Amino acid sequence: MIKLVAGALVAAVTLALPAVLDDSALAVYILLGLAAMVTVGVSLLMGYAGQVSLGQGAFYAVGAYTAALLALNGVPPIAGLVAAPVVAAVFALVIGVPLLRLRGHHLAFATLAMQLILLSLAGQLEFTGGDIGLQGIPQFGVGSFEFGSAAAYAYMTWAGLALVMLVTHNVITSRPGRALRALATSETAAASSGIPVGPYKLVVFALSAAFAGLAGGIYCFYTGYVAPGSFPVLISIQYIVMAVVGGLGTIWGAVVGAGAITLLVQGLDQLASLPGMPSYAPSVLSYAVYALVLIVVVLFLPHGLVPAIAGRLSRQRNDPPVETR
Amino acid sequence: MSAFLTYLLNGLAVGCAIALIASGLVVIHRVTGVVNFAQGTFAVVAGLCMSSLLGLGLPHGASEVAAVLAATVAGLLTGLAAIGKPGVTPLSSLIVTLGVGVLAYAVEIVLWGDQPRSAPGLAGSVTVAGARIQTQYLLVIAVTALTFVALALFFGRTYLGKALTACASNPYAARVVGIDVRRMGLLAFALGGLLGGIAGVLVTPMRPISFDTDVTLIVNAFAAAVFGALTRPVVTLAGALVLGVAETMAAGYGYGSHQLEIALGLMIVVMIVQASRRTAISQEST
Repeated sequence: MIKLVAGALVAAVTLALPAVLDDSALAVYILLGLAAMVTVGVSLLMGYAGQVSLGQGAFYAVGAYTAALLALNGVPPIAGLVAAPVVAAVFALVIGVPLLRLRGHHLAFATLAMQLILLSLAGQLEFTGGDIGLQGIPQFGVGSFEFGSAAAYAYMTWAGLALVMLVTHNVITSRPGRALRALATSETAAASSGIPVGPYKLVVFALSAAFAGLAGGIYCFYTGYVAPGSFPVLISIQYIVMAVVGGLGTIWGAVVGAGAITLLVQGLDQLASLPGMPSYAPSVLSYAVYALVLIVVVLFLPHGLVPAIAGRLSRQRNDPPVETR
Repeated sequence: MSAFLTYLLNGLAVGCAIALIASGLVVIHRVTGVVNFAQGTFAVVAGLCMSSLLGLGLPHGASEVAAVLAATVAGLLTGLAAIGKPGVTPLSSLIVTLGVGVLAYAVEIVLWGDQPRSAPGLAGSVTVAGARIQTQYLLVIAVTALTFVALALFFGRTYLGKALTACASNPYAARVVGIDVRRMGLLAFALGGLLGGIAGVLVTPMRPISFDTDVTLIVNAFAAAVFGALTRPVVTLAGALVLGVAETMAAGYGYGSHQLEIALGLMIVVMIVQASRRTAISQEST
């Protein structure tokens, strides 16, 4: 009952916000939703399949470039938006076959390398527009209806996020979801219980890439341009920070983590652009916040914010606190 | 022909610098099981420190030593953050070192700004068999050779080095005979900082260093260390030299813009080949 009411409340607030926010606040709101979309994928990949990807920004970029290229070549935007997650997922399937043989820190570095290669290629190739990138991407629209306002993009973003969360929820609660949890603990044990370890890991990798691709597609229509500079390595690290802060392997954790970090960085940006602050203040503050939050959470809240708070609440309600190490 | 020799020697020097950073990575990984993402940061800290100290008028020699010491302290601090708290898994420690690397960005920008900085090294050049090579490059090769000899002596001949090796091969047995594994881990991090610092001091005169150079450095070093499966220093040295020469040749013969792709592609291929040779069980138990 409480869950239903809370869910309805969250949905109502989410739907009401775009109508009351002004344009600059809407920009934050949209970026928050996009970040949450990617983070849900990261959380699924790290928390359930036990794989660390430092290259999630690459799939975001693939989605954005796919949608942008299609839209610039006269394909209807809706087709571009559908193609973005599909192409990102196919790309993940292709590179996942060799890469997912790797584990732990090897996989982390390989995915980071993949993103660096992709960015370097995007900066050199003709059809991606080189370092300047692609500009003049048309507005999103269906048929003759065209998205003119930021509020429309906000609704699109949060509808996308709802879809991503629904898919993730269904994956987690299904039989393959339990299999994923098993293989995150021990691949050998999972394989000997008859779980097809390789294909499952590959599918989750592709799914998380599709989420990132969808976010990338929306991003390119919203901003109107894409360039290699929009997808630095730091963006991939940022998704890790959000997923870890919120709590790995929890859907709401990813959303809360993305929200907390986005709002924190945004608040600090405002602080840093006050008169009298040095010109380097915004970047310094955001680097410091990412770093400190990441270190503190990994060391002292290893399960993340949402599980920690939920655990504390249920303990208060039910029984005297249990001393955990 | 002389162009080829120049590229070869320059490549060896670049490879030596990578090897120094990679050996720090190997030392830390052997003892603690942690892949230190902040290893490139140590080199950056040393390079930036050196450029500042030389700018303040400190003589050569003193500036370099001070810069390497600063990197050693940075290594120790990173170690404290990464393995100071008991019960943190190596993969969590990797994420912590990632955080330390990003935190270092903030500190570096406040102290040195976000523009690349350079420092004067050894001036002049010598001609070896018709190939001109800058003296600084020869210095890099010589210092790296000396460092690796010193490392071999340290690990093979001293009590402390043997204790570190003991922790690397079997932490439990090392604890049983009274070796403080955590202190050894911190020592390994400090040593990693020292090695990264030496690399930074040597690299800064060859190419300007800025706060975000560490990504290129760590990726190259990791690629080299992967040759030796992150545990064997000598294979790592060979891997770094191959990498340095391959990159410099690529740049020299006109594929300069694809330098990074070559290094990264090579790294991924080597890792996948290695992974296919090991079984899942042996990877999970280590």
